[in-house]
Amino acid sequence: MDRRKFLLLSAVAVAGLTLAPATKPAFAASKVEEEVKKRLGVELKAIKETAEIKLTAPTIAESGANVPITVETDIPVDKVERLWIFVDKNPSPWVTDVKFTPQNGQVFLSTRIKMGETSNVRAILQLKDGTFVMATKEVKVTAGGCG
Amino acid sequence: MATGTAIVRVPKEAQKGQVIRVQIVITHPMTPTRRDPQTGQETPGHFLTKLQLLHNNQLVSEMNMGAGVSANPFIAMPLKVESSGVVKIAYEDNRGGKWEKTAEITVK
Repeated sequence: MDRRKFLLLSAVAVAGLTLAPATKPAFAASKVEEEVKKRLGVELKAIKETAEIKLTAPTIAESGANVPITVETDIPVDKVERLWIFVDKNPSPWVTDVKFTPQNGQVFLSTRIKMGETSNVRAILQLKDGTFVMATKEVKVTAGGCG
Repeated sequence: MATGTAIVRVPKEAQKGQVIRVQIVITHPMTPTRRDPQTGQETPGHFLTKLQLLHNNQLVSEMNMGAGVSANPFIAMPLKVESSGVVKIAYEDNRGGKWEKTAEITVK
């Protein structure tokens, strides 16, 4: 390959690479992204994953009608405003949100949720300083619980 | 059990400043609102929308929920107890149902 051809090829390749991510937003945002934007007022992509939140959920759920989840965190309760739970592929991704106050003593929530199909479960903490942090876990569902 | 009845469990005794777990089970169908894809007809759902946790009539925590929570919801929440008294939950559903349930706790 001579120099001229190589330059042309690499230019095409670079153009292709830069174009690919640029065309992505043309597709409709996924349901969970819309829901997070609507309720939290921030983009889901802007929320950082953190190891400080411990989200316990089964790897494989026997029934989607009853998936036990537990959220614990080391972040002190007086820094936390609200805890949100989202399930990516549910017909309505928002499941619940809980407001915590210092009288709670700690941030903890255990409950059972419904899941329509295999998807990510997200626990998002809204902090007092206006930032958000998140923990995600994928739960495989063999029999959906929304139908 | 009838819709809206609840069981609230707290330890009988706790140390001052201890963080306890309040365990709640509410009898409720939690059915979502469904739209028939063929006819477009809506079947109204029946689910809890709000639950408040109070200690001695002071609001501690507030939970908003929809039909994404399983039928007969089980919820466990933390509570830091500084004094003896009444742990109360107040909850309501989307059809105007409102209920309350209390449990007593003694702080040593």
